[in-house]
Amino acid sequence: MTLLELHDVTAGFGAVTVLHGITMSVAEGSIAGVFGLNGAGKSVTMKAIGGTVPARSGQVLFEGEDITRLSPEKRVARGMGHVPQGRQVFPQLTVEENLRLGAYTLRRKDKGRYGPALDSVFDRFPVLKQRRQQLAGTMSGGQQASLAVARALINQPRLILVDEPSAGLSPVAQLELREVLQVVKDSGVTMVLVEQNIAFGLSLVDTAHLLQTGVVVHTAPVSELDDDTLATHLGIGKVLAGATGSALSARKGSKR
Amino acid sequence: MGQVLVLGLINAGIYAVFALGVVLVYRGTGVLTFAQGEIGTLGLYVAYVLVTEQHLPWLVGAAGALLVTTALGAAFELLLVRRMVAADPVSTAVLTVGLGLTILACEFFFFGASPRVLDPPFLAASFTVAGVVVTPTQVAALVVALALGFGLQAVLRRTDFGLGILAASQDAAAVRLVGIPLSRITLVLWSGGAFLAGLAALLVEPTVGTVTPGYASELFVVGLAAAVIGGLTSLPGAVVGGVVLGIAESAASRYLSDANIPGLRYVTVFAVLLAVLLYRALAPELRRRLAPAPAGATA
Repeated sequence: MTLLELHDVTAGFGAVTVLHGITMSVAEGSIAGVFGLNGAGKSVTMKAIGGTVPARSGQVLFEGEDITRLSPEKRVARGMGHVPQGRQVFPQLTVEENLRLGAYTLRRKDKGRYGPALDSVFDRFPVLKQRRQQLAGTMSGGQQASLAVARALINQPRLILVDEPSAGLSPVAQLELREVLQVVKDSGVTMVLVEQNIAFGLSLVDTAHLLQTGVVVHTAPVSELDDDTLATHLGIGKVLAGATGSALSARKGSKR
Repeated sequence: MGQVLVLGLINAGIYAVFALGVVLVYRGTGVLTFAQGEIGTLGLYVAYVLVTEQHLPWLVGAAGALLVTTALGAAFELLLVRRMVAADPVSTAVLTVGLGLTILACEFFFFGASPRVLDPPFLAASFTVAGVVVTPTQVAALVVALALGFGLQAVLRRTDFGLGILAASQDAAAVRLVGIPLSRITLVLWSGGAFLAGLAALLVEPTVGTVTPGYASELFVVGLAAAVIGGLTSLPGAVVGGVVLGIAESAASRYLSDANIPGLRYVTVFAVLLAVLLYRALAPELRRRLAPAPAGATA
């Protein structure tokens, strides 16, 4: 079943149009990756899905319903979760307060579900349980990434939008993050992942949507991608595309 | 000395309540509001109409004043601030100057420049502390300021929406991404700020007993300075700022009254403000220079 669909979506800022007609669909339970160079419109695609940059034309459908005109808050209430670029945890609030805010719509619907949801998140991310009273701003980048993911998961969303999660993280923290996102993937939640680090992204996603100047130029399951296709559709040249080769071959060699 | 302290604390409460309104709005929205003084004065005129002209009880007048100031804050957010969501906070701050001037013009238009008398609520109940006559509203001002400054933050942390308000001051965009309606938060903050402006004016008015256009703006300037001294984002800091300025001002008028300095209140306020800002700017450098050199360091 298709969970999310974008039909010919255009969006931008002021006089600048960034997305020139994005069309893509995301199947329930799958991980969709959106890849492209700087300025290709990856993050704006994510914001058009989340509603922080509203679509100027076209349609965004979530669970078959048109949500194009809904505010970001209402989309969250319908089952979208966000792991925003730069993580954007609330630095002066504790880990537990961040999680409580993450569960805002869950708690409004049924406060009784919060306790089990918190326990489940603490089971998946033991480090957050240990640091539940610590101010989020005093944790390491990798731990903040875990918190950002946990804050989205605790609301029990149907779809999680993960925007450039590896940006600004050290190599060690990136490994930590890779494990965290694997936890999300294993939980069966549908995910849209935008990532400039193509090798990092390809190691996680099922389907890749390749963007150039605000248009999806190629969509394929990762198992069908090769260096040539990446080089052609991303315009990055074969040398750079070759750097993603190990991620692709690793994926082809595994069922994950 | 006791007299200086009592007089200082009397004013401190008023300054602190004004400062709390500024901090509340600034924390959540990043906008410095300059309309607090005039919103407060408008509230006093509402109370004047209800109490002096309509002969209603003082408490009814006060409730009317708070209702109108809160509604004005809400209307300002709904009709103007919300439409400037993409504008930088300085533009919205300028908008608050416009609001203040508009209210001032309305005060002159409807009530003229002459003072209007608004009787205090509990005239007979005043008492003496260290030789200073203290009225119940002056005590109330200090109690309200202390309760709001030190209690509001704790109360906010208890509810999800309150926590959302605290979070909005740290990252407004992220608040929307966890599903909290940001527009409702800003509506509450602007209404709350205007409510506090009305409250501050109501607490100070009985000391003077009359209202003139722009009456509360003079006090608001000191409140604004108190907010800046407190760091602009800290509710307890706003109260501390109010106390510092209240005591500095009463000490100056006690010990410098012979110097015949015109506008001694403002001179004192701005001297303290300047000293605090200079200290904040220079303190890191001073600490670095005064700190002992680490062992093994060479010149």
